[in-house]
Formats: sequence, structure tokens, C-alpha cells
Amino acid sequence: MTTRTKETVLFTALGVPMVTCLLVFLWIVFVLSTGIGTLRWDLLTTSVLQGGIFEMIVGTVYLLLGAAGIAGPIGVLAAIYLVEYAPHGKLTRTIDQAINNLAGVPSIVIGLFGYTFFCRQLGLGISLAAGWLTLTLMMLPIVIRGTEEAIKMVPSAFKEAALALGTTKWKAISSMTVSSAAPGIITSVVLGMARVAGETAAILFTSCVLVTRGLPKSPFEPVMALAYNLFVQIVALGELPEKVFGVALVLFFIVIFFATAAIVLRIYYRRRQPWLR
Amino acid sequence: MDFLNFPTCTRRVQVPKLMLKVRNPQKMLHFFKSLKEEPIEAILFLCAFFSIIILFLMLFFIAKEGSQAFSTFGLDLIIGQRWETNENLFGAFPLIYGSIMVVAGALAIAIPWGVVTAIFIAEVLPFSIRDFIKSLIELLASIPSIIYGFIGVIYLAPQVASLFGISFGTVALTASLILAIMSVPTIIGVSGEIISAVPKEYKEAALALGATKWQTIKSVVIPIAKSGILASVMLGFGRAIGETVAVLMVAGNTAVMPTPPWNFLSPVYPLTAVIAMQMGEAAVGSLEYSALFGLGLILFILTFIVNTLADVIVKREPKIRGGKK
Repeated sequence: MTTRTKETVLFTALGVPMVTCLLVFLWIVFVLSTGIGTLRWDLLTTSVLQGGIFEMIVGTVYLLLGAAGIAGPIGVLAAIYLVEYAPHGKLTRTIDQAINNLAGVPSIVIGLFGYTFFCRQLGLGISLAAGWLTLTLMMLPIVIRGTEEAIKMVPSAFKEAALALGTTKWKAISSMTVSSAAPGIITSVVLGMARVAGETAAILFTSCVLVTRGLPKSPFEPVMALAYNLFVQIVALGELPEKVFGVALVLFFIVIFFATAAIVLRIYYRRRQPWLR
Repeated sequence: MDFLNFPTCTRRVQVPKLMLKVRNPQKMLHFFKSLKEEPIEAILFLCAFFSIIILFLMLFFIAKEGSQAFSTFGLDLIIGQRWETNENLFGAFPLIYGSIMVVAGALAIAIPWGVVTAIFIAEVLPFSIRDFIKSLIELLASIPSIIYGFIGVIYLAPQVASLFGISFGTVALTASLILAIMSVPTIIGVSGEIISAVPKEYKEAALALGATKWQTIKSVVIPIAKSGILASVMLGFGRAIGETVAVLMVAGNTAVMPTPPWNFLSPVYPLTAVIAMQMGEAAVGSLEYSALFGLGLILFILTFIVNTLADVIVKREPKIRGGKK
């Protein structure tokens, strides 16, 4: 056997784990799709009290949008500071390290913290608002890192052109750098939403209940969510009702929707913006 | 004419950097002056500083709630052998052991799987489908853990049970398998990034000397990316040990040591699962409640150390950084 054929065989063998990875993905999609029969339109649109899952879907979306509304601005501003303003020094390095560590905190610990701090210390109780704040902590590192990346990709010439015209530094950054990086920033927020859409452990103690009467009327009321419902149904009830498949599928679709949106946005804007290769 | 007003313009351009050295009053003054010129910088700084505040708050509040358990049991909270809620006995050793056992099993599968995949994607796969495959793996990473748990309990656990002839499939092995599937994308993502950061010149130099592609990978790419791969493994460990919902559904949740200790076919009760399962029924302020926060503190500190180590390893990589410039 020549070296060349040996290498071909070897590289084919090296490809097996990757193919396994893709097979696992297909397997998951296949397993979930066996439950597609339970997914009827009236299941999605009728209230929980009548055996539907309408409020859970809306509750999940509420949680997502609220968390994105808080984590988005804070994360973007933090990233602008870290890329454009932060001096090279100990403090900046510590902040950088803290963001990495925050990203690594297990979601259940974030949930515990959310319960003792947001629900009890701040007196929010089991509520939508407490869920937003808890999920914000999970989204923040993703948004900051993604935004940093997007801002770093914008050529500094854009900003310098504005500065040369006599604008202030903030004006130059906000009008040139940030607006050029906007697609990348939006992508990172969408990615963050995909990550927290199916998050269960963080909202377990902070914002969810199994059944409420209708949708929450204010941020200080508890909410129903798909992930929480799935959790309770699987853990607490021995025999799984058919509806569980529907809940799992809808959750899967929501998450995959956001994740795909992030990927497509990224590819699309990389092609559109000439300075990104 | 406003735009001809050069003096103010140029003065504004040179915004001093934020300096935070309280010891030096001169610099403090400088700091406040810079804020007066661009108050926005203070807001930006606060947003960035938020992460540090949150980490401290987290440590403080979890430690505060867990302090009662630590003062009652002392070290027994960590090394005690019995976790029995009804008798107010909270020794987390079987739980910690369960966590580590499940994660060790998962990593034993996920590390070779993930690292080989990362190498294959970065070095062997044709450029045209690389992005597509990467996107698919990213999708795999974004599937929520509750879905993995659901699939594990409905499909994987029965298969494990019938394969090994045991009555329940919710055992450490099933949890390890699910966890392995979940941590592979993390390992692929991080080590893939490190592998693609290996300077092209190094590889080209090896190829120019007549090395084959495999020899180049083996003796140039892997040695350079070694510590980065180690960091990705540590990040994978941190992810895996903090994973809650998926593990809880397939681990069996029995707070006893497996016999013998390496028996992967016995149920375990990982740390995270205990917190998620018992938090709902623990009365606020009770010993159980406090013990659960004690577990949270153990987890927090453990993942904090692992993540910091991973960061240090990545930042100590002079070759890649030097090569890039």
C-alpha cells in the first residue's frame, strides 16, 4: 500500500466521528418527528385550560424577548467599552475574565442565584421579571462576545474618517463603527435568544408555574413556559401523555428557528459587507 | 459656521482613557474630568463592569444562603456519605461522586470524538462544505438540554436497559451518553477555533519539507494546538458538570454510592439534579434549603476554577499569538 492510499484510508477513518455527529443530529430530528402527528393547529391556539399549549408558547416568547431587551443593550454597550474605550490594564483583564466566568456558571446555579436575589431579595417573587433578569445573566456573555467580534471586524478607517471630520469619539463610534457592525450585533443577540429559549434550569425556580389563568397581565406575575412544562411532565408524571411530544416539538422548532436565523444572518451579511472578506 | 469651529473639535477628539486608581487623587480628578466630557463613557464602563458585580453578588448570596448548612455540617457537607432529607442528613459525597462519574464517562467518549472531528473539519474537509458542516454542529449545540433529556428518557434509556439486561435504563451510563452528545459541540467549537488559528506558514513549511498531510497534522498542528485543545476539554468539563435537566432525567436519581464504585450500570444522583429536584419542596430557611445552596456553592467554585484554568491555558499560548502577527 502506498503512503497515499494509506493516508486516504486514515482520513476516511478520521471522518467517522464527524459523520457520527451528523447522524446523531439526524437521529434527534427523526425521533422528534415521530411525534409530528400530535401537532395540530388547535393544540397551538387553544388555551392550556382547554388542553392546548397557547399560553406556554406566548410565555416562552415573552421570556425570550424580555431577556433580549435587557441583555441586548447592556451587552452591546459593554462590548463597545471593551473594544473601543478600555485601557490595557488589570481592570480590563479582570472584566474580560469575569465575562468568561459568567459564561461558565452552570444554569442551575444562575437559577439558585436568581431565586435568592431577584425573587426574594428584590421582592420580585416568582415572576416574569425575575425570569427576564435571570435569563439576562445567561445571555449577557454571548451578546458581549458576539458584539465584540462584530465591532473588531469593522475597519478602524471608518471611525477615523468620522474623527477627522471633527466628531466626538462617541459620535464616531456610534455612527460609524456600531452601525457598520449592526448586522453582527443583531446576530449575536439572536444567538443568545436561541441559547436561552430552551433553558429550563434557570427559570425553574424563578418565573414559571405549571398552570396560570391566562397570560400574565404584568411582569410581576408568573408565566407558563414550554421548557418548564416539559420538565414537570417528564419528571413528575409517570405515564407520558401524547401532548408531551407536541410541547417538545414546538420548543425544538422555536430554538432551531432562532439558531438558524443567527447562522443565516451571519452568512448573508458576511457576503454583503466587503470588509468582512 | 459651526463645523469650522476647530479648537473645540480637536479638544474633544482626544478623550482621556478611563483611569481608575483611587490612590492617586490627581488621576481621580482626571477620571471625573473625562466623565464630564463624555458621560457616555461612564455608562459604557458600568455595563462592562456589570459582569464583575454579578459574579460577586452570586458568590455572596449563594454563600450566605448556604452558610447555615456549612456551619452545621462543616466538612461533612462535602465528604459525608449519607444524603437523607427525611433525617436531615446532608452529606454530599455520593452526589459529588455521581456528578464526577457521569462527567468522566461523558468526557471519555466526547474528547476523542470531539477533537478528531475538529481536526477533520479544520484540516481535511474540503473548504466548500466546511461552513455548512460547522453550521450543522452549531445547530446541534443549540438544541436545549430538556430536549436531550426527553429523547434520553424516551429512547435511549429503554435501549440501554434492553442492551445490558437491567430493569431500568436510567443509569449513570445513559447519563454519560447523553452528556457526551451534548458536550461534543462545545469541544468541536473551541478546539476547532484553536486548530484553525495555527499559522498557515508552519503547515506550509512542513509540507514544503516533504511531509505528508497526516505527518503535518501529527507533528505540527497537534503539538501547537495541544494546550488549546486541553482548554476546550476543560470548558467541556465545566459545561458537562453544570448540566442539569438532561442528566436529571436519565441518571436514576438515587443518592447512594454505586457498588462497585465504577459500576456505570447503577443509578446516580448528580449535584445539579439534586438541586433541581429538591429546591421545589425545600422550605425557605430550612436546613435542606441551605444544604442545596451549599451544593450550588460547591458547583460555582468548581466551575469557576475550571474556567479560569482554561482561560489561563489559552492565554499562555505564545506560539499561536506570535505566529499570527
